[in-house]
Amino acid sequence: MVELPTPVKWVLRLVAVGYVFFLVAWPVGMLARRTFEDGLSTLSDALSDPDVTGALMLTARVALIAVAINLVFGVTISLLLVRYEFPGKRALSALVDLPLAVSPVVVGLALLLVYNGRDGWFGPSLESGGFTVMFATPALVMATCFVALPLVVREVVPTLQEVGNDQEQAARSLGASGPQTFWRITLPSIKWAVVYGVVLSTARAVGEFGAVKVVSGNLTGQTQTATLAVEAKYQGFDQPSAYAIAFLLVLVSIACLVVVAFLRPSAKK
Amino acid sequence: MSIQVSNVTKTYGDFVALDDVSVTIPTGQLTALLGPSGGGKSTLLRVIAGLDSADTGAVSIEGNDATKLPPQKRNVGFVFQHYAVFKHMSVAKNVAFGLEIRHRSKAEVKQRVGELLELVHLSQFANRMPSQLSGGQRQRMALARALAVEPKVLLLDEPFGALDAKVRKELRDWLRRLHDEVHVTTVFVTHDQEEALEVADEIVVINQGRVEQIGAPDQLYDAPANDFVMGFLGEVTRLDGTLLRPHDVEVRTSPVSADSVEGTISRVLRVGFEVRLTVLTDAGEEVAVEMTRTNARSLGLTEGTTVWLNAAPGATTV
Repeated sequence: MVELPTPVKWVLRLVAVGYVFFLVAWPVGMLARRTFEDGLSTLSDALSDPDVTGALMLTARVALIAVAINLVFGVTISLLLVRYEFPGKRALSALVDLPLAVSPVVVGLALLLVYNGRDGWFGPSLESGGFTVMFATPALVMATCFVALPLVVREVVPTLQEVGNDQEQAARSLGASGPQTFWRITLPSIKWAVVYGVVLSTARAVGEFGAVKVVSGNLTGQTQTATLAVEAKYQGFDQPSAYAIAFLLVLVSIACLVVVAFLRPSAKK
Repeated sequence: MSIQVSNVTKTYGDFVALDDVSVTIPTGQLTALLGPSGGGKSTLLRVIAGLDSADTGAVSIEGNDATKLPPQKRNVGFVFQHYAVFKHMSVAKNVAFGLEIRHRSKAEVKQRVGELLELVHLSQFANRMPSQLSGGQRQRMALARALAVEPKVLLLDEPFGALDAKVRKELRDWLRRLHDEVHVTTVFVTHDQEEALEVADEIVVINQGRVEQIGAPDQLYDAPANDFVMGFLGEVTRLDGTLLRPHDVEVRTSPVSADSVEGTISRVLRVGFEVRLTVLTDAGEEVAVEMTRTNARSLGLTEGTTVWLNAAPGATTV
């Protein structure tokens, strides 16, 4: 460690604290202040609005389904990427990272192109089979899965690599089948990475806006998620409701961060 | 015959790990696969265990063709160099793993685990986690775990390679005694010739993917098939064109016969009771010689002394 002169240390600290304060702490604090300006009435008014509760419920449902799907596929893809050699592996690895790089709006547009009911690739045939994707819950789930895909994979892959496959081979030589090895050996050794990935995915799924906006149709009370409701309420001059929903979203994120903070040290053991 | 490997070839890209290898390993014995790193011995062991598959050739275990069997159907116990302990399970749970997979009754599992921990002297550690054990203890646990399923064959891949010299030596003696108690056909991989010579009933020397020689330790040491085996089993030097061991070179201060080789001592190195000489012969050969300190002193050998060298009678030469 290079020892810095004391004034420089203080300036650096001030810059760092100031940066985070003006960028994060103050705006979020203002949000909380606005929400509780009139005591709890803003929050209770918002929560008695069926459109708001509907939006919150929809967000919860979509997040739950998307995270569950993401969990299964995330772990499977991680195992594929780490434990098996196959042609196109590098391409798959790069594709998994794509959602991190691409703007969610683009994701939404792409899904729309493929699945819309009028001239999409799959859309019309799915729709004639009685299964509506676009402007309905399935589209919301797909968009959310897409943007959250890397979060589980990027947590689990390094852990799998670090753990190595010695224990799995030992289990196989002791008579364990593939599924037995997975449930008894592989999963317990990566469980904290999986939980961490799930928490991150949840935070991401709850907060998703761009992709969801394109594919949802934004029908109030039907396909309007919490984030979309914030925008709609704000633009509809119902700022207090917008603040209230936004505050609840922040609460969920903070809850996720707290969970992660508790998990981090145990993951290091 | 317990394990029969016939014409096995295994390549990784351009690298030939095993080149048409055929080995027969007898039942109930302790066999060492000995060779330099990267020589293919670990690959051979993994092919026998089913952890790697051979490109061509066949493996049969106790008369059954195992070439296409997955590892969990081969009934072999495998012990890894880095232990491969199940980190999230207690010592007892680790040992019980194979039995629980086989759905044995709780009482039976408990009794068997107790016996095995007794056997490997880990009874008092049953409820510890593997991270609380030393390397040697972990490896003994791994051995108990492998023995729990009563394998027909026990395979150990450089089992003591990650341990320090003292523990290594202890475990080596212990493995030999354990084998005399349990009598399961055991194959272990090592690059340490002393370990192989000391522990094994039979040694298979493997180099560059080929079997160089198979035989009992004495047989290999006394009648090596070629330069490689001779050189790998101990120090060698060249005297008058023949390969022999430095301690088999007799040194005299006057010629005893017509074929004595004359030379000058160019270097004297004393290591404890032993003296290592380098003799530069008149023909320009550098011959390494080992003798006891007493012997060197009685001959009055120092740097610059002119000496005559002979191969000792009965010396192993190639």
